[in-house]
Amino acid sequence: MGKLAIGCFPGLVGNMTFDFAMKLADAAADKGHSVSIWFSGNATGSVKAHQKHLKDYSTGEKPLLALIAKGVEICTCEACTVARGVQKPESIEGVQWNAMHWYLARVHAADRVLLIGGE
Amino acid sequence: MKLGVFVSDFNLTVDTLDRLKAEKLGIILVQNGVYHATTKVSGKASSLLDKTQNLYVLSDDVQIRGLKVEDVDKRVKVVNYSDIVDLMFNDYDKTAWL
Amino acid sequence: MGDVKVAMIVQKPQYKGETSRLAITHAISYQTVEILLEDGETVTPKLCFIGEGVLGLQKGQNAMELYGITSTESHMKNTLLVDLDVLVCKEDLDKYGIPEDAMPNADEMGADKTIQVVPFAEIQKAIEEANHVMFF
Repeated sequence: MGKLAIGCFPGLVGNMTFDFAMKLADAAADKGHSVSIWFSGNATGSVKAHQKHLKDYSTGEKPLLALIAKGVEICTCEACTVARGVQKPESIEGVQWNAMHWYLARVHAADRVLLIGGE
Repeated sequence: MKLGVFVSDFNLTVDTLDRLKAEKLGIILVQNGVYHATTKVSGKASSLLDKTQNLYVLSDDVQIRGLKVEDVDKRVKVVNYSDIVDLMFNDYDKTAWL
Repeated sequence: MGDVKVAMIVQKPQYKGETSRLAITHAISYQTVEILLEDGETVTPKLCFIGEGVLGLQKGQNAMELYGITSTESHMKNTLLVDLDVLVCKEDLDKYGIPEDAMPNADEMGADKTIQVVPFAEIQKAIEEANHVMFF
């Protein structure tokens, strides 16, 4: 099976592109592909734990936990995340924190790359 | 180059797409990009549909908008997420989100 | 695979959305990726500006004074200092009336590289030669 490296920049709330990335990752993982997701920009806000799922808004925590349970590797850009006031102890368990070179390293190993730029 | 391009907007991304050249070009319509497949402007279908014969539209993103699969232009194949994964790995060697 | 080539294409202007700025910083991070790779493995980005993406590159930016953030001009100097290939579409500079000498350089900082103003065909070639392509 292949390796897919998704880069996701759009924010969780106010944009459904994040939902697309989650569903694509889920479908790829279900088919047996190895999937890694890199969050940068506004997408990093999605790694904060204890999100309340209001029905007017997409939720990040539930799909992220489900993906992590399936073996999907998820990493958030540390600089982008702390810039949004989210500290490491507050983040969803299993999410990695690293710098932009983490994504380039996953891109190096990937068969396919999809970079979803932000707003 | 076999390039699969995700188009997620109705109007904004055509300029870049016009310039890209590929031996095989695939256009995958997602989010508001699905309107290219379903909606005529002043009676005319989107010119995007003339760019390649390899056209796909995400069924979830059609149906969430209250559109029906029957509304999709006959040139466009309706696909699901699993199909998109297969397209990415089997039909195109590079993918781009415009 | 030893070297993986990545074409990073910036098509949005700077100073509204963050995406076009993040393209530059992601490209610069190629310099430290080796700590996560095996010996002999490298990632080589080409940072390309097309369409409205060429608008945010001009010299004389005052981002730090006015908004307290690093300017794109400063980021561009850093790309040159770390020997990144930066391609800017000539047709688009012409379209917006931006002269080539408005592009920043890092000569005073000792950079060997300069921004390359090239026809779009060269950027198309970079996309074709790349293992992966990213649009920002």
